[in-house]
Amino acid sequence: MSTLLIQNGHVIDPANDIDAPNDILVRDGKIVQIGKGLSVDADDVIDAAGLVVCPGLIDIQVHVREPGREDKETIETASMAALAGGVTSIVAMPNSAPAADNQTVIEFVIKRAREVNLVNVYPTGAITSGQKGDSLAEINEMKRSGAIAITDDGVDVQNEVVLRRAMEYAKTCDILLMSHCEVDNLTDSGVMHEGWVSTQLGLPGTPAVSEDLAVQKNIMLAQMTGARLHLLHNSTKGAVSAIKAAKAAGANNITAEVSVQHFALTDEECFGYNTNAKMYPPLRSRDHVDAIVEAIKDDVIDAFTTDHAPHIEPDKLEPFKHAAFGSIGLETSFAVMNSYLVKAGHISLSKGISKMTNGPAAVARLDKGSLSVGADADITIFDPDENWTVDAKQSFSKGKNCVFDGKELTGKVHYTIVDGHVRFKQGDIIR
Amino acid sequence: MNSKFEKEAEDDLINARNGRDTSFFDLTSIDVLTDDDLQLIFDVARRFRHFKTWKFGFNRGCSMINMFFEGSTRTMASFDLSGKQLSMDTSNISKGNSSAGKGESFLDTAETLDAYNPKILVVRCSEAGVPEMLSKHVRASIINAGDGWHEHPTQALLDALTMLDYFETTDLSGKTVTIVGDIVHSRVFGSLVRILKMLRADIRVAAPETFLPAYVENFGLKTYYDVEEAISGAHVVYALRVQEERGSNGFIPSLREYSKMFGVSRKRLDQADKDAILMHPGPVRRDVDVHSALVALDNQSRILQQVENGMCIRKALLWLLASRLDDKVKEVRPG
Repeated sequence: MSTLLIQNGHVIDPANDIDAPNDILVRDGKIVQIGKGLSVDADDVIDAAGLVVCPGLIDIQVHVREPGREDKETIETASMAALAGGVTSIVAMPNSAPAADNQTVIEFVIKRAREVNLVNVYPTGAITSGQKGDSLAEINEMKRSGAIAITDDGVDVQNEVVLRRAMEYAKTCDILLMSHCEVDNLTDSGVMHEGWVSTQLGLPGTPAVSEDLAVQKNIMLAQMTGARLHLLHNSTKGAVSAIKAAKAAGANNITAEVSVQHFALTDEECFGYNTNAKMYPPLRSRDHVDAIVEAIKDDVIDAFTTDHAPHIEPDKLEPFKHAAFGSIGLETSFAVMNSYLVKAGHISLSKGISKMTNGPAAVARLDKGSLSVGADADITIFDPDENWTVDAKQSFSKGKNCVFDGKELTGKVHYTIVDGHVRFKQGDIIR
Repeated sequence: MNSKFEKEAEDDLINARNGRDTSFFDLTSIDVLTDDDLQLIFDVARRFRHFKTWKFGFNRGCSMINMFFEGSTRTMASFDLSGKQLSMDTSNISKGNSSAGKGESFLDTAETLDAYNPKILVVRCSEAGVPEMLSKHVRASIINAGDGWHEHPTQALLDALTMLDYFETTDLSGKTVTIVGDIVHSRVFGSLVRILKMLRADIRVAAPETFLPAYVENFGLKTYYDVEEAISGAHVVYALRVQEERGSNGFIPSLREYSKMFGVSRKRLDQADKDAILMHPGPVRRDVDVHSALVALDNQSRILQQVENGMCIRKALLWLLASRLDDKVKEVRPG
């Protein structure tokens, strides 16, 4: 028996509609009591005066790079980065080497996560064998091994009949299918958003319609097949308007996320050939970013993610055209959301937390994301008003490629608790 | 030539420079230039032009390395000769003989060459932004000699000098410049449009939509699909090459159709102002971009003057950047 009392904090638990001062008592990894002025003799006490206490954050799009590219990231370093960002559960994308297109890789990821024992790691499997887009992977075997969803990740299934069968099969297995929406032929050689900035930089652009068309295609096939479809990292006006229309038409099998950089930053970050701003989907122009923010305010978006994509330094010291796609984000996602949505006056803190807790939990059907009595004691405690400047070199992640490097953000995580254990405290990882 | 002439020539240039320095250390884009920089470069370039191939001692002891990761005839030859005519030691690295072929990154190659303490690194490559990236890491001054579809600043400087000297003006206000051809793949356009803006020209562009980059009108220009309408009344007709090597395949059905629709012919040039000039950055694709008879012989063509001005513009830049009078030193990112 071990007990932990979190006192004097302001508790925000969107799943239970709580947004008030409260104390929380944890016993043996579970939440046992929540209420005002709890007077219990606990083994450990955290004084959360002036801080906000919420469910541990959930990030359903993380590239952990293990197995295969342990030079870029490992399950351990990704877990440490997650803890520093208040994230207690991550969904691992399948683009490892070898790809997670079979039960062996899924079981390996689960085993490594158990050994590391820092955050909850949920693996996903590939839709197609080798993520090649041709033939279906052994989806049910992967599900039985613990995969919580299937996705071909950064390489969208281009062939519509393969995608149709994948959805029909996913429905059969009752597993979520997550789509990165992109029509390769329209992306062509594009390396950033096609617009005024790409013209000034003389770089080949990716038109927004490349994403719009793929989102439309995915939605129509999900409506036809009835499969559970989750649309990854939406970034265009056309994508969010299609999602809004589908949801208005009653498509309750479709969910959608936005990666935090896509509501925070525009393609102007690419000026100076800043390769940390190179990612897919690309950072878009202001009109798209404004449409994304409106969609968030309209509740069209179910979850916020990072699309955490660590790379080694040489991959980003290339010419912009050849540099690797992606930015790390686990350590900054909460602060980015807080700065660019809450402090900017677009949504309430409770709404923002919801999109990073019970929202993604519902998408991935994880029994996480709330502070209900009896729930796993995954808890994040932060100061919503603390200003800090991102220094990517100090990241726990092996990747130092952060598009927010040097930016001032508001909101700093002080404690991250997983299964009742304090794993992150005031800047330090605790094992 | 005697030492008296040498003294006179050097004094002439020193007078033209008049104690001035550029505001920039690296010429990565026309965007780094101020109006004063333009004036200084043109003042000095005109005097270098006057002395033709005379060898000046200004940059003795200074080295220059041409890093050409993409093919070039005129740009590489004119940089190399310009350096030599300023008494510089020059070295030319091209794609075939560089370590890039062995998998070395641009940055590692540049940092290695920078360790030889050159004053100038001239960079050409097929990827946009490489000169700007390298400029943040090396102590030598970087001169962009063409990066992907982005810019080719020395070309724009020599073009501007050609126009200003022909019209005998200090800026191009009241002059219409019509640019015809493959805009989207053209780094020449990228620099030209920026310098024409600085010189207050009215800019028109004639091309099929497939050759126009997104929001090109934000540069402050007007686009035309009808080349004759675009040329009508223009003071400068600037033809760009169709760049198959930079990806124009599939953007037009055929060179034959393009030439008929957009090629600059005698009849089309006659729509321009009666004193209009024809320009082209070279290499010209005769009868595709510009009809053969117009290329070099026609008295409206300024194509060979452009080439000549290329020498003196590059000489001016090499002197100004390698031999600063104010002793200012460029700041380089550590690591």
